[in-house]
Amino acid sequence: MKRWIGVGLALLLGVAVVLALVLGDDRGDGDGQGDGRGDGQGALTTVRGVIGSEKKPFFDDAAVRAAFARHGLRVEVDTAGSREIASTVDLRPYDFAFPSSVPAAEKIRQTRKIARTYSPFYSPMAVATFQPIVDVLAKAGVVRDSGSGYQVLDLRRFLDLVARGTRWDALPGNTAYRARKRVLLTTTDVRTSNSAAMYLAATSYVANGDDVVSSREQVAAAAAKIAPLFLDQGYSESSTEAPFEDYLALGIGKTPMVVIYEAQYAARLFAGGGAVRPDMRLIYPAPTVLSKHTLVPLTARAAEVGRLLQEDPEFARLAARHGFRTADPGVFADLAAKAKAPVPGSLVDVVEPPAYDRLEELVATIERRYLAGAKPSS
Amino acid sequence: MRRAVTAALALLLAATGACSGGGAESPPDDPAVLRVLAGSEIKDLEPLLAKAAGAAGVKVSLSYTGTLDGAEQVASGAADGRYDAVWFSSNRYLSLIDGATARLSTQTKIMVSPVVLGLTRAKARELHWDTGEVTWTDIAEAAAGHRFTFGMTNPASSNSGFSALVGVAAALSDAGEALDQAQITAVTPKLTGFFAAQTLTAGSSGWLADAFRRRADVDGLINYESVLLGLRSAGGEPLTLVYPADGVVTADYPLTLLASSPKKAQYGKLAAWLRTPAAQREIMTTTARRPIVPEVPPDARFGTAPLLELPFPNRRSAADALISAYLNKVRRPSRTLFVLDTSGSMEGDRIAALRAALATLTGADTSVSGRFSRFRDRETVTLLPFNTGTGPGSTFTVPEGDPAPVLARIRAYGDGLEAGGGTAIYDGLRAAYQTLGSEQDGGSFTSVVLMTDGENTDGSSYEDFAAFHRTLNTHVPTFVVLFGDSDVSEMRQVSDLTGGAVFDARQASLASAFKEIRGYQ
Repeated sequence: MKRWIGVGLALLLGVAVVLALVLGDDRGDGDGQGDGRGDGQGALTTVRGVIGSEKKPFFDDAAVRAAFARHGLRVEVDTAGSREIASTVDLRPYDFAFPSSVPAAEKIRQTRKIARTYSPFYSPMAVATFQPIVDVLAKAGVVRDSGSGYQVLDLRRFLDLVARGTRWDALPGNTAYRARKRVLLTTTDVRTSNSAAMYLAATSYVANGDDVVSSREQVAAAAAKIAPLFLDQGYSESSTEAPFEDYLALGIGKTPMVVIYEAQYAARLFAGGGAVRPDMRLIYPAPTVLSKHTLVPLTARAAEVGRLLQEDPEFARLAARHGFRTADPGVFADLAAKAKAPVPGSLVDVVEPPAYDRLEELVATIERRYLAGAKPSS
Repeated sequence: MRRAVTAALALLLAATGACSGGGAESPPDDPAVLRVLAGSEIKDLEPLLAKAAGAAGVKVSLSYTGTLDGAEQVASGAADGRYDAVWFSSNRYLSLIDGATARLSTQTKIMVSPVVLGLTRAKARELHWDTGEVTWTDIAEAAAGHRFTFGMTNPASSNSGFSALVGVAAALSDAGEALDQAQITAVTPKLTGFFAAQTLTAGSSGWLADAFRRRADVDGLINYESVLLGLRSAGGEPLTLVYPADGVVTADYPLTLLASSPKKAQYGKLAAWLRTPAAQREIMTTTARRPIVPEVPPDARFGTAPLLELPFPNRRSAADALISAYLNKVRRPSRTLFVLDTSGSMEGDRIAALRAALATLTGADTSVSGRFSRFRDRETVTLLPFNTGTGPGSTFTVPEGDPAPVLARIRAYGDGLEAGGGTAIYDGLRAAYQTLGSEQDGGSFTSVVLMTDGENTDGSSYEDFAAFHRTLNTHVPTFVVLFGDSDVSEMRQVSDLTGGAVFDARQASLASAFKEIRGYQ
């Protein structure tokens, strides 16, 4: 009997050790309660920010936390959609807002009358997809080679395809993905999230005759053409990590093509670990737009966070590990070369997003169609 | 070494101390505890969550609610301050309600399970669905041809039923995009054919699975893959799972922080821990749900075929129109009989509560959950009051398309109920089964509700009723409402005998118990 208890206790202790290991593992991206992990410095100054969800892994990174700690800082973040950050989120508890685009940051800057903002890193909008999908769309003339070492989704031809209501199983020669649903890119909810708004920016440029939308008349005409890209998808999520997770975990069935920040995909490639499987492909919309992650300091102590991110080479190196491109293109390129990651050194077909007011009007026009409950007449 | 052992023991104690997760109505606020309002589907994670105290340093207290009820609590703000997080199988319907998204903070998907069809092996073989590709259209044709029967939860009460309804409607619709109201109207006839084969309904996945095990006449269930993988038929065999090639709707179980909660750190720790490979593997092994992190590959039980995801409506009007069409036009009608205690002890507040509860079911409740609990179009309702004697009752049939006048009559009848006399529970219940036995079985969902506030004082005994019941060959369940001074153990016997369920209105309101029962009718 006694021996049995001994064995049982040993087993229990075994479990406890495993738990302890898990706990130890987890500390790195916990909330930093026990900052004994820092480098033995005294009390750290806590700076709180609300950020686009795509930057959460960066701020949770133990190396990033340690780097901040060396400067006497502990940075705590909550996530929200970038447009929500610029509109509905109560910013009072926060020292900084860090949305994923210049227009959203501009809105906060103007409302809060902030003198300077920081744009430490950026990421082009991209499309994560699968080789069979690339093959099918290449046959349909929608995906082509850019001539610069990467493949692009030709937005003009894609818009034509969508306007015809094309379904996957109607694409010629498509034996790989015979779904009855419409050919559409999965995006986040354009009413709340920046990545969808960036896709809106790129498609509105094409719908506006290859020109940045710059007047109310153009807004109405472009919105009518591109609203189905969003409305016809059905339910869409509010933050960019969610559909990308579906893409990685559930694969082609749920998410054959998803609009993402290049950084989300590059970070997975740089980290290794096999999250990006061999049949997964990263292509770029042509044209694409850049998501310029822009930190708006709301308090004095947040300015130091912005300054470090923008000026300190260590943070640039850490940001690149998370897939972001920084002022020095060499940092990102070196990592890509080391990881043999199929990401281009630079992109050729990049356009500017509309100014804040025009982009808001585009989103608002589409929002009204949601509220009306009526389908676009296209 | 000794210090390490002590630390390990301390962790163990912390872990065992957290086993209390579950059930409490309104947990007191403890800064160390994350209070989670959850769908009952989450219940099977309690053993894992008990470990979270030791492994992630977060104690979890779970309170359970139905899908629409939960959505309503979040959207109205009633959940703010009472809970820190919500955890339903999906946030999709919730997100369609005005104002709900502003109350939600970070969402973290924890696991996934598609809603698919599970059939007995024999039936799957007979229909040739055990090999080769099957679409919802194939399934709809077989259903309309009465070649199989199935059970499904009520879409207004349970997410599995709602997901199934959305999936079937999207697949049978000619539209390749998310459904709108016009498309729902167009697909309604096809849905009616499909749901002609639905012969079992339920307010929750758990009750549905129990009922299915008792019912050899039901060939299968539409439910989460995770439920179906663990289920055995009445014959004791595992089910054959059919994954429709034209797509499914998948639950993704987002653990969601409420914007009002200050416990962001605890939430972050729990969410991160639940996504560690070890926790993900345990979820997969113990609950048969698929992992959400790509580092943990799904095991062989889940097969290799990619699951196409069907588009989900992005407007509340479309989602509500779909539920409404299902309840009032598509599914088999309900035949419901309410056996209502009007004895002297009901005098005062109790009879008033009964009148109010009946009014709730006639459309007086305009809340999200209330609108889908009213007596439905095509439903035949009998209100059978009893005291020393039984009846006379009154029977109403709600016409399709113009329910208001009959609903008003039902409400007037309820308002006219008066208390007085003794309590002859089993004479009343026997009369209910006799009434139903004398009717032709038109394939309705038939059920009895027994509401009594005290012990049986007159007429036949429980034993008399049980003997009578055994002479009937009936699947009609009695849903028992505990109220006032009900004889709890005898009421449970009634529920067990008839394959029903017990609903407790002693603390909560009688109206909310009646609303919950509507999910089973």
